[in-house]
Amino acid sequence: MNMASLTLKAITKRFGKVMALSCVDLHVDDGEFCVLLGPSGCGKSTLLNIIAGLILQDEGIVMLDGKSVDRLSPRERDVAMVFQSYALYPHMTVAQNLGFGLRMRGVPKPTIQERVLESTHLLGIEDLLDRKPRELSGGQRQRVAMGRALVRRPRLFLLDEPLSNLDARLRASVRLELKQLHRKIQSTIVYVTHDQVEAMTLGDKVVVMRNGKVHQIDQPETIYARPANTFVARFIGSPEMNLCQGRLLQKDGRSHFQGAGFSLDLGGLKPNVGEDEVEVGIRPEDIVIGQSATALRGKVEMISNIGSEKYLHVDLGDVSLTVRAPKEAIFQPGQIILLTIDPDRLHIFHEGLRI
Amino acid sequence: MERTIIRILRIMGLIIFIAIVSFPFYWMIVSSFKSLSEILLKPANLGLDIRKIDFHAYYEVLFEHGFLRYISNSVYVSIVTVVLSVTLATVGGYAVTRLRFRGQKIMSYSILLIYMFPAIVLVIPLYVMFSRVGLRDSINLLILVYLAQTLPVALYMLRSYFQTLPPEMEQAGLIDGCSRLGVIWRIVIPLSAPALASVALYTFMIAWNEFLFAFMFLDTPEKFTLSRGVVQLAGSVHLSKQLVMAASVMVTIPILILFLFFERRLVQGLTAGAMKG
Repeated sequence: MNMASLTLKAITKRFGKVMALSCVDLHVDDGEFCVLLGPSGCGKSTLLNIIAGLILQDEGIVMLDGKSVDRLSPRERDVAMVFQSYALYPHMTVAQNLGFGLRMRGVPKPTIQERVLESTHLLGIEDLLDRKPRELSGGQRQRVAMGRALVRRPRLFLLDEPLSNLDARLRASVRLELKQLHRKIQSTIVYVTHDQVEAMTLGDKVVVMRNGKVHQIDQPETIYARPANTFVARFIGSPEMNLCQGRLLQKDGRSHFQGAGFSLDLGGLKPNVGEDEVEVGIRPEDIVIGQSATALRGKVEMISNIGSEKYLHVDLGDVSLTVRAPKEAIFQPGQIILLTIDPDRLHIFHEGLRI
Repeated sequence: MERTIIRILRIMGLIIFIAIVSFPFYWMIVSSFKSLSEILLKPANLGLDIRKIDFHAYYEVLFEHGFLRYISNSVYVSIVTVVLSVTLATVGGYAVTRLRFRGQKIMSYSILLIYMFPAIVLVIPLYVMFSRVGLRDSINLLILVYLAQTLPVALYMLRSYFQTLPPEMEQAGLIDGCSRLGVIWRIVIPLSAPALASVALYTFMIAWNEFLFAFMFLDTPEKFTLSRGVVQLAGSVHLSKQLVMAASVMVTIPILILFLFFERRLVQGLTAGAMKG
């Protein structure tokens, strides 16, 4: 397939006084699966519409294969989009819906037919061709919407929360299919979602956004392991990372973290911010339950059992930490336990940014 | 108990209402099938003797009083008004709903402003104006006036309908390779069929039934529309009731048929199934 790379340079967009996007830079390689992740209202859908050419940016450049497409209409950009609401044409059959884009581009009829069949085969919706959208289930509509994009063989796929209207079980299976599909057709995809599981499982590259700003662009593993700031740290991971306010202190040439109600020896870590207010973060699975030289004492407040594992909410005096425990472990609320935190697993943030 | 009473009252109310509304219709139709002598002999007779049905009044009205001409005039005026009004309202309504341009808000809200002026206030200045320019006594002028009269409501109706159409569908159309006009033609219009039908019906009714402007602006009998023709007939020297009734039937029936025919389409929604659901 004839796919393209996408480059965004300093994209800025205002709606009235609201800054929808400020200075967004992004590069997506040919064949890469890029996920725009963020809470609702962060500007990710606006960005997608700008790439499609449905909205014009106030400043900045959109480039496909290194060439600016700012002056091109959506039609000329040759991108395909799958909408959250699917936006199928209700007055056309599935076959007509699928073939519409090709028909509008003057592709000869036999070719349209061939490509429609090919994509319906790929998605397993061959027997729906003569139906109208209103006769389809949610999952089937979603497939048709995907098919409408696939048939076109565009240079770039734009997907706007395509799974958010499916129920949870279907969503998981379609997510897997989407991943396989991407591997099969090696397409360049920009995928918008607010669901971190979708982002982590699908993306070759994840862009975390909030309030119109890009907070981090990295591989999913890196985003999880090294969040660039406290927002990303909190947003990625479930249950979310424990973050504690405190002060960085120097004692005998070693760094210590003094939080409310507990202190931590940071071991070999030598943060270069001197003695200052910081936040330290630790993921629930990085806290070890059990005795050690530096263990902290805490009281189990509450236990959430999610089946595959348990999460303990442990009170350390003035702060509360979420700690992962294996599913076999038995704890009682009120029980006093010892927690050990490996300094190498800590995330330290100064003024919100990772150090 | 109480429910049954309410039910009975409701049915009775409906019957009375229907009787009040349909009685003039009934009388009109019955009288149009009678001969002049019968009407004069028994003016209060409401019944109709099936064996004595007389189509003579229709024949006379159509061929001797020029109604064939009036009908074709009315058909011409109405159809041209409908076509122009629906076309302009579609394009205009789409523009104020979807496109962003300077003055779009004001435009959108001032559409109905013309309805603040009753027709009688407008007709005299228009009469004077058109007389000066020498445009009076022309059927096409009538179309222009009807267009001005129907367009605001047509625009308003279509705008309200377009606002209910999901914009994503049009965006999908744009991405699939349509131009703006292509989107209107291939997506908006097919989906707006019910709204377009009601606008067409509304416009047709106004144009077909309109009397005041036709009365003021048309002088030559060859250019009369139906409603104008009926008044001409009613005011003529030999007042034959059955002729006026037959003429009135000819004015009313087409609208009635159109309404019954279109009514079914008006309620059908077409957007079902487009979006998630």
